[in-house]
Amino acid sequence: MSSPSQDRRADEKLGRILGRVGSVRTRLNSLALQHAIFYTLAIAIAGGAAVFAGAYWLSPLAFLGGTLALAVIGCAGIASAVGAAWRMRASAVRAAAVADDRAELKGRLSTIVALANHQARGSLWAYLVEDTLGYQDQFAGARIERRRVSRAIYPLAGAIVLAMLAIPISKIKHAPPIASGSGQDDLTVDLDDLHLRPADPGDESGMPVTADAATMRRLEEKLAREGAANGEAGGNSLNQLVNRARGMAGHLQNKLTGQQAASKQRLNLRLADAGADQDQKEIRRAPETPKNRHSDVAGQFKQDQPESNREGDLPREDDSRQPISKPSPGGYGEHGAEADAGKDNPGDQDNSPTDRSTQQSGENGGNGGAAHGTGADPDSLFGAPAAAKLGTEGFEIAIEARPVDNGAKGAGHAYVAPKVRAPLSVNQEPDEPVARAAVPAEDRTTIRRVFER
Amino acid sequence: MSSVQAETPTVADFARTFRRIQAEIHKLIVGHEQAVEELLSALFVGGHVLIEGVPGTGKTTLVKTLGLALNLSFNRIQFTVDLMPADITGTRVILSGDDGRREFTFQPGPVFCHILLGDEINRATPKTQSALLEAMAELQVTVAGTTYRLKPPYFVMATLNPIEMEGTYPLPEAQLDRFMFKVRLNYPGEGELTQIIASTTGPEEAGIEAVFHATEAPGRIEALKRLVREVMVAPAMETYAARLVRTTQPQNSRFVTEEAGAVHDEMVNRYVMFGSSPRGAQALILGAKVHALLDGRANIAREDIEHVAVAALAHRIILNYAALSDGIDAAHIVERVIKSVRAGKP
Repeated sequence: MSSPSQDRRADEKLGRILGRVGSVRTRLNSLALQHAIFYTLAIAIAGGAAVFAGAYWLSPLAFLGGTLALAVIGCAGIASAVGAAWRMRASAVRAAAVADDRAELKGRLSTIVALANHQARGSLWAYLVEDTLGYQDQFAGARIERRRVSRAIYPLAGAIVLAMLAIPISKIKHAPPIASGSGQDDLTVDLDDLHLRPADPGDESGMPVTADAATMRRLEEKLAREGAANGEAGGNSLNQLVNRARGMAGHLQNKLTGQQAASKQRLNLRLADAGADQDQKEIRRAPETPKNRHSDVAGQFKQDQPESNREGDLPREDDSRQPISKPSPGGYGEHGAEADAGKDNPGDQDNSPTDRSTQQSGENGGNGGAAHGTGADPDSLFGAPAAAKLGTEGFEIAIEARPVDNGAKGAGHAYVAPKVRAPLSVNQEPDEPVARAAVPAEDRTTIRRVFER
Repeated sequence: MSSVQAETPTVADFARTFRRIQAEIHKLIVGHEQAVEELLSALFVGGHVLIEGVPGTGKTTLVKTLGLALNLSFNRIQFTVDLMPADITGTRVILSGDDGRREFTFQPGPVFCHILLGDEINRATPKTQSALLEAMAELQVTVAGTTYRLKPPYFVMATLNPIEMEGTYPLPEAQLDRFMFKVRLNYPGEGELTQIIASTTGPEEAGIEAVFHATEAPGRIEALKRLVREVMVAPAMETYAARLVRTTQPQNSRFVTEEAGAVHDEMVNRYVMFGSSPRGAQALILGAKVHALLDGRANIAREDIEHVAVAALAHRIILNYAALSDGIDAAHIVERVIKSVRAGKP
């Protein structure tokens, strides 16, 4: 039977051992906590840097998708890090087991911690405590776990470096959000190839369009037609959703990049065939065929680029933040129609912007005769008279040439004849549709009967 | 009770005594250090040992030497096919008393001793083999309705000859399970063989010195056995031993109930018909306690359990025909189980 003093001494020794185990436990739990915090910060910082860079580099939809993907990955990563930290946390028994393993104490500490609160410890308990205390230097907290800072500090440092690099890289490398006309002063765009989208309420990410009254009216008609077409297709709500998402993402990008309406470009449109709008409205209402698409003389707008944006940056093809979706390079003028007819035509490679506008003007002028037939419809014979106009100042002679199969051996590319443009002489007038004239009421019945026959 | 018996041995006493007995045995037995340690471990926890080895590897010599070193009473039974249970336990015979009256008197069999060697136990019939069961498990023998207690320490060592299987009766699983350890004696190496030749063919034989006096030997050994039981076991170690035993049991056995967190080994499922019984877990812990004391510790560690795992579990694992055809033995299964449990430890 042990005396009270012996018991007190044994308790003191036990307390010393448990105290050391406690310090090991504190250190392990501190590392587990650091693991969770550092990894969470690292993921948040790296994710933030990626979102920030994405705001400069990505289109709104790509930015939105990327941000959502990053958010999901980040949440999973944080959950994983917190879970790992939770598993790393140490109870007293686990801290003792870790100390046993690292100090090679062969279960001494684990046994003491597990049995410390037991009443019946056995006759060898005092021996065990004494024996274990002899190894107390080996299971000091600092020896069991040397680290005070978790290794998770390295990912955090990496994320901070990444974030610091993201700022200058984004500032240097990013292209302006809205293209500015490929360095051209004017662009002539076929009305059919000009895609317009009304801005969503509150969405200020689009490009403001200015135009004279006649042009605006045509634009509104086009918007109305396209809106009706979209409604028939049943994709209106989806489009609205996508547009809303795009607008939201663009707004967020603007917030992140600091680009506000101040840097917004303005698009000035005017009809290239001003004066022929009324007749051409009738033409547009006719069923669309490739032929009458080409004949759409009035469907041409000239885009006046602001002075500040005339030079420099190329348009980004995927930049869908523009409310007016510009046609692709292959979609300008008649090339849009040509691309529909045969995109592989190598002759289309020779389409400098200047040639494009002139080719388009000439070609449309040449096709103007097709409109006469359309005007012969008895239902649309009569209307308000239109003033005759000269919409074009020249014509083009298109020389169509086909590649010859039995050409010289080893020839690289077949020869494609260029389109030749010759200016009109002073005595010539362009081939224009006959302007609508006023018809006396008494003659109308006769004329209608002739056309109906 | 003698004064020696009254002394409470310390951990150091245990280790010193154990090492001394080992040294005495190794005066005559060359090599087989692991086997000798397991033999003594079983002795100090009250278990019994099955010794398997080819002829001439020193099975009988080992047991005899142990009896001499411990200075305990020692008997040897050569099991043969015509050996009867009464030849082991003893029988009642008619003897004349001093007054000339004749009466039945119990004549104890060779089982009444401290150390019993059952040589080639698989040559006796199962009936005779079973006669040892009661003695081994309960330290008592019942003859003609009368129960006779055996004096502790009681230690049975049975030898098995793995070859010459004709005319033998393999031990039933129930009886195998009552042996705490199965010790395998392999052929000695070249160096060991040289020592054996030198020590056994000279004019002088090695003299075995008894570690205990004859009168105090039983008491000292019992005290050491009590000390072994005092070694502390953390709950985690009990869990580890239990998990080892559970993992030896095939998942698809109808005797095994599935439970969450159980570790399963593909090799066990493929080759094991029946896994270890709970006695295997007891043997693991008790053997580990002896090993811990030998290491100067009053607690067991994972290493202690693993040290005795093959000896404690291998003979309790019943393999199927696939294992026999693939040349897989139970020791291999146990080693694999240890790896699996270590890998899947919480």
